[in-house]
Amino acid sequence: MEEAPHVTAPEATPDKIKASKNTRNTGPGRLLIAVYAVFAISATARAGYQILTKFSEAPLAYLLSAFAAVVYLVATVSLAKPGRTWFKISLAAVLVELVGVLVVGALSVFDPVQFPHETVWSLFGRGYAFVPLLLPILGLAWLYRRRPGKRRTAL
Amino acid sequence: MDAYFWIILIVGLLSTGICLGAGILKKAPNDLTILSVAAVELALLVYLVGSIIRVIAGEPIAGEAWEFWGYLATALLLPPAAVYWSILERTRWSNFVLAAVGVTALVMAARMNQIWY
Repeated sequence: MEEAPHVTAPEATPDKIKASKNTRNTGPGRLLIAVYAVFAISATARAGYQILTKFSEAPLAYLLSAFAAVVYLVATVSLAKPGRTWFKISLAAVLVELVGVLVVGALSVFDPVQFPHETVWSLFGRGYAFVPLLLPILGLAWLYRRRPGKRRTAL
Repeated sequence: MDAYFWIILIVGLLSTGICLGAGILKKAPNDLTILSVAAVELALLVYLVGSIIRVIAGEPIAGEAWEFWGYLATALLLPPAAVYWSILERTRWSNFVLAAVGVTALVMAARMNQIWY
């Protein structure tokens, strides 16, 4: 079975192999997914804790916390999955994340009452060593380098 | 900060250092890097057993007890997950994934200490 492509079209083989594998979850992509997974877990746990115990203190901030958790979950899963559709979902999730960290970061500076410094994105993610600000930029760079247009065969 | 934190600090930083070094040297995950992550898991298990003994002995947790155990349980899951992930793809990048375990465990141990006291 493996021999057939070699015989008929030797030059097509590397493409076939590439197309059959997901190029976004290998190499540096694995590290990116791992970091996203850690953030998905910690953001989910934190948002769940905030909403269950002190939701009334700052509902907007804690809803944003939950939203951030969902974005990280979607980003983690979509980065690990192959195909164009998942690429688009990844791109959307990472863009939302970038906008989120910038907007919430700015809001938490100007309006500390509505946005106590307790979400992942507050103060541009300072509580997490600015990783939340860095992550979407690295994510976009990675998605750009592994964009589907670079491959000849669509999945 | 108690002894458990310092143990995890030392083991975690050591593990991160070893894994980062191996990654920078373009090595695939090997016995050394995987064992260093296993050592982090061991340190966390010591923390777990120690904490159970302290709770049974009647020492109170100052913060939310379930938050403490949640952190500990999550931290315990990280090393096996990272090792599994690194076995699936044996490239230098998996060493960077393994390197992330040590620092993450360290941060989580710091938070656990805050909750306990």
